[in-house]
Amino acid sequence: MHISMRREVSHSNAGRLGIGLFALITLMALFAPLLAGYDPLAQSAAAFQPPSAGHLLGTNHVGQDIWSQLVYGARTSLLVGLSVAAVATLLNAVIGAAAALIGGLFDRMTMRMVDAFIVIPILIIMVLLAAYLRPSLWMLIVMLSLLSWQGGARTVRAQAFSLKERMHVSTARCFGAGRWYLIRHHILPDLSPILVVGFIYSMRRAVFLEAGLAFIGIADPGTVSWGIMMKEALDFSYMNAWTWWLLPAGVALSLTIIAITFIGYSMEPAMDPRLREEVEGEAIA
Amino acid sequence: MTKVTKYLESLPFKRLLSRRNLVTYFVALAIILTLNFLLPRLMPGDPLMAIYGDEALVQMSPQLKADLVQRFALDQSLWNQFGAYLKGLFTGDLGYSYYYNASVFNVILGRLPWTLLLVGLSLILSTIIGIFLGIESGWRRGSRLDRGMLAGMMSLNGFPDFFIGTVLLLVFGVTLGLLPLSGAVTPYSGLSGGALLLDVLKHLILPVTALTLTHLAAAYLLTRNTMITVLKEPFMLTARSKGLSPRALKYRHAGRNSMLPVLTMTGIWVGTLITGTLFIEIIFSYPGLGHLMYEALLFRDYVVIQGVLLLVATVVLTINLLVDLSYTKIDPRVGYAH
Repeated sequence: MHISMRREVSHSNAGRLGIGLFALITLMALFAPLLAGYDPLAQSAAAFQPPSAGHLLGTNHVGQDIWSQLVYGARTSLLVGLSVAAVATLLNAVIGAAAALIGGLFDRMTMRMVDAFIVIPILIIMVLLAAYLRPSLWMLIVMLSLLSWQGGARTVRAQAFSLKERMHVSTARCFGAGRWYLIRHHILPDLSPILVVGFIYSMRRAVFLEAGLAFIGIADPGTVSWGIMMKEALDFSYMNAWTWWLLPAGVALSLTIIAITFIGYSMEPAMDPRLREEVEGEAIA
Repeated sequence: MTKVTKYLESLPFKRLLSRRNLVTYFVALAIILTLNFLLPRLMPGDPLMAIYGDEALVQMSPQLKADLVQRFALDQSLWNQFGAYLKGLFTGDLGYSYYYNASVFNVILGRLPWTLLLVGLSLILSTIIGIFLGIESGWRRGSRLDRGMLAGMMSLNGFPDFFIGTVLLLVFGVTLGLLPLSGAVTPYSGLSGGALLLDVLKHLILPVTALTLTHLAAAYLLTRNTMITVLKEPFMLTARSKGLSPRALKYRHAGRNSMLPVLTMTGIWVGTLITGTLFIEIIFSYPGLGHLMYEALLFRDYVVIQGVLLLVATVVLTINLLVDLSYTKIDPRVGYAH
């Protein structure tokens, strides 16, 4: 009954494609200093240079090397994506499981709160918060995390509820297993597929939101971000520079999000076996 | 609160509107109100400055400042301040914007129609096209067309709305010069009647296309997934054995049932679409709420941001409520379930 997520992903074309793309972007982020050639925030040449051997994608309006910015931008996107997903997953696991296991008033109160946050458009909340707090990169990560665990908590709670009533859990409880023992040995292992899927979707949303917020001017000025690049390039849309300035940043961002989407999609049959391909059904028949 | 729910439950539609959802909407509204109220007041420094922004404060006379302190009850306890804040809201007072030199309510009201036009059109277009493609794709599951469409939609889903928007603008507006670059109407053109309508439509094409494209995938993926599960239901076998035409099977039996989850999601989608318009309006300088919010962010006109947040939240919550109500019309099973 335990599901192997690795198998789900590696057995689907979408999953393999997603993993491949994601690995490529991760490598780009890891080896950014080697690939870049210039400090992404330093002025390295005159402004608005077209692409050349020295500057693969030319330079921007203040003479920063665009290729270096593109490479370093992967770091920001992945840092925000992974950190927000990690914190959000931890929060939704703890809160979702606690709601299911404690139940009663606590359960009802947290779930109403969760539902409320699902309905509220969080980007606008982020804009309001950012207008007041002018967040740094870490602050942004904290804010995004606090606003993105809610959806996951709902699914975790539902799953934990059904697990709680399963035979093997009752049996373990019957033999004197304590609450923490049950959580560690029986609940968590069966929650993990849901947590993995939740992680993937929080990451996707965080990568998108970071770039989107940077695009409307909410970003830590000391960071290099694909969203900032796109915003700056759009301000100079009357020049031809957008083809080697805006497009690469937008494509890199889109590929990152598409990679995460494909990985997430390949995991969906594990969550809902009705979506599995017919072939398996025929084999059984 | 209990009085309100009791009253609503006594109405004819009591079975349709679950108490749980009502509480959810109430909590959501409470969160927004608390955020709007607390954020400026907990900031270090003069709360009046945090409410109105420092530039507005410079222009104020001492008399006006004293008036405002009194109106917001800023010299009293936080509870009294909250009371004064709520009282203001109930009388339609969202504050005064010193940047626009008008009441926030009027500023927002002037921008609202454009956003509604943009969001409404995109929602209708993307939902209809998404459902149609989803039904066709799910019906032909595993075929070349289905797999191609699925991969295409999933990739489309990965392109952020602001990227699609900018590319459309740069290609069709800047490079090809086919369509207008910004705004909702040509300024100072003095157009009227049919010419004005045509002008508005021309300005709408790019923003609506961008929003529709970004939203299409959600409706498509959801419909396709439901279609696949619905096609395996026993009633489909019955319908098939009755000898119904493939068309009737596809649309009247499977398709209709596949639309239900789409309807449930509409409420949430309005939220994402409004978020999407924020970007699209900025890119195309479209004079709606999103662009208003962007301007307010640039000029730190906090009252306007708060007003937009409150209004958008109210709109999204109301639409969710309406979706709840209409759900039973399409799926009678929901009405019996309670």
